[in-house]
Amino acid sequence: MPKITIDGTEIEASEGRTILQALDDAGLLMNGVDIPHYCWHPKLAVDGSCRLCQVEVEGIPKLQIACDTPVQDGMVVHTANDRVKAAREGVMELLLINHPLDCPICDQAGECKLQDYAYDYGVKASRSKEPRRALKKNVDLGPTIVFDQERCILCRRCVRFCREIPKTGELAVFNRGDYSVIETFPGTPLDNDYSMNVADICPVGALTTKDFRFKIRVWFLEEVAGICTGCSNGCNIHLGVANNKVYRYVPRRNDAVNDTWICDAGRMSYREIGAPDRLRECMVRDESGRLAPTGLDRAIEVAAGRLRRLIASKGAGVIAGLASAHATNEDLFTFRRFLSALGSETSGVAVVRGKADDLLIKEEKAPNGAGAREIGFGDARTVVDRISSGGIDALITLGHDALHESLLGSEKPLADLDTVIVLDTHASELQRVAHVIVPVRHAAEKLGTFVNVARRVQRVVPAVESAWETYADGEVLAKLGAALGLEGFDGSYDARQVARDLAAANPAFVGIDLDSVGDTGRLLAGSAASGAER
Amino acid sequence: MVISKQTRSKIDAVIAKYPQARGALLPALHLVQDEYGHVSKECAVEIAEIFEIRPVEVMEVLTFYNLFFDSPQAKHHVYVCTNLPCSLRGARGLLRQLESQLGIKAPGETSDGRIFLGHEECLGACGYAPMMRVDGQYHEVLDIEKAKRILDSLGE
Repeated sequence: MPKITIDGTEIEASEGRTILQALDDAGLLMNGVDIPHYCWHPKLAVDGSCRLCQVEVEGIPKLQIACDTPVQDGMVVHTANDRVKAAREGVMELLLINHPLDCPICDQAGECKLQDYAYDYGVKASRSKEPRRALKKNVDLGPTIVFDQERCILCRRCVRFCREIPKTGELAVFNRGDYSVIETFPGTPLDNDYSMNVADICPVGALTTKDFRFKIRVWFLEEVAGICTGCSNGCNIHLGVANNKVYRYVPRRNDAVNDTWICDAGRMSYREIGAPDRLRECMVRDESGRLAPTGLDRAIEVAAGRLRRLIASKGAGVIAGLASAHATNEDLFTFRRFLSALGSETSGVAVVRGKADDLLIKEEKAPNGAGAREIGFGDARTVVDRISSGGIDALITLGHDALHESLLGSEKPLADLDTVIVLDTHASELQRVAHVIVPVRHAAEKLGTFVNVARRVQRVVPAVESAWETYADGEVLAKLGAALGLEGFDGSYDARQVARDLAAANPAFVGIDLDSVGDTGRLLAGSAASGAER
Repeated sequence: MVISKQTRSKIDAVIAKYPQARGALLPALHLVQDEYGHVSKECAVEIAEIFEIRPVEVMEVLTFYNLFFDSPQAKHHVYVCTNLPCSLRGARGLLRQLESQLGIKAPGETSDGRIFLGHEECLGACGYAPMMRVDGQYHEVLDIEKAKRILDSLGE
């Protein structure tokens, strides 16, 4: 393994890596060693077009670009001496010659590399007297992205992204020299399942998403580490939060899960959090057969009363539980304990399936199918079959995924049940048949863990608080268990404690708690790659 | 299919000369432009199919070089060299006179789309300056009368 010295510190690099890659591998890039760069991206091929990452390598007369200079044993690199700084200033001056400097109205302001590096390396005034390039503004590149050709510094990250990641290759550089522009083939828009990542990797304000642009200045956003709940891949994200509202999801780097990417559908799933169809109050069906709003205590009381009456007449065997793959492990473990203590014998987890690809998008359209199965919930088909054969009188369901055509198909099979208790985030047809409804928290509003498709346990933390009363599923089940006098239920719910109980009860979760999973997750015990991170 | 059978077989013949088909992209673009005077969007799509690359990649090459055109051009292309040796021998004056003769400003084309007039950098004929290139043909040791006669002799 070659050893190289960067600004006096020796680091070990892997054979065949370039200086920037070696620094990135060592976790030092922009985290101790600041080498400014535009075109280089850790997950894209080396381009070498922006020239900003020039460094001095002892023994080589000219400055070298760190992104494309392979490491050699004994190499001594200087990243911050006067010569390097002067070169960076020169490059910045050239890059700024044609840039419009419209920061006050640019949506990238605040997270713009051109702004940041101009602050670090910019010259005070432009020496250029020539007019700036007049190019196309506000170009509609496709369904998700708007392009400003004048702001573009031609780093070609977006071009390489489209060719290398979704492999759709919509973007290209047309013309030559100072006439160069990014373009699409006429009539072929930028339209793929990952298109919005180009806005993340664009170092300037040239590519912005139609969804987020002009919504809020980014410096008002607090970036909360979380997990996308769109599918079982569990892509790591930052939730952009301000005024107790989630404005966007952006991918958070985790090389073991999603590199630096997220699919467009997952990115847009933030809109579920504040959706108008969120359930906002507890509801109980009254004597007239109408759902009437009520408080949580009354809802628990009604649910417990109905279940108690059924158990007395027919036993707990007629009660079924449908888990949701949107619920956390802590919710699901509480549900599992609840159903066992109750004596219910029928349970399963409902998961909606859909289109998958070989990049990030997985078949299960919920974050925690693997966790639910690990905690002991089988296929929801068992529950559906027992309902249709008439063996079930009461159903406790988390979420409404069971309504999907692959399972119940509609709420109708539930119409004849004596009792339907629904814990859900959003409104659904279940409202037509439910006797008790309790609004529960979205993943962005609670603390807990999910297990992704590769058996990685990952954490969500409350990023926002709903403006109305909501509860974690586990909290509702704990209260219901206490109301029913079930063993081991005192009505309290603490996700941290439940996670510890789960680790003690289930060998797969050994050593995993809400602190030890950290921001990047941990594999379940017994996983093939356990212990050795990819 | 937009590209004619003859041109297509010429393209195939060129491709056979290269270890990788892609190497023949430039000659193929020349062949198509020779046939149509420019490389249309439709031709670019067809070339992309032949070379098994994306149309946008054909456009990258096509737009990189000024001597490829992606839209219909004038029938005759007249380029006057205005590099130093030609300029010393009166090329700029010659260009101005041709501009007023045709009633256009270089680079630009006549309203009937018959003649495009432009200037060009060195074409390597400095010993015979001033010179111009008309439809790929060099005309050297020019004066205005000779240049006018050449333009007049151009067909429709």
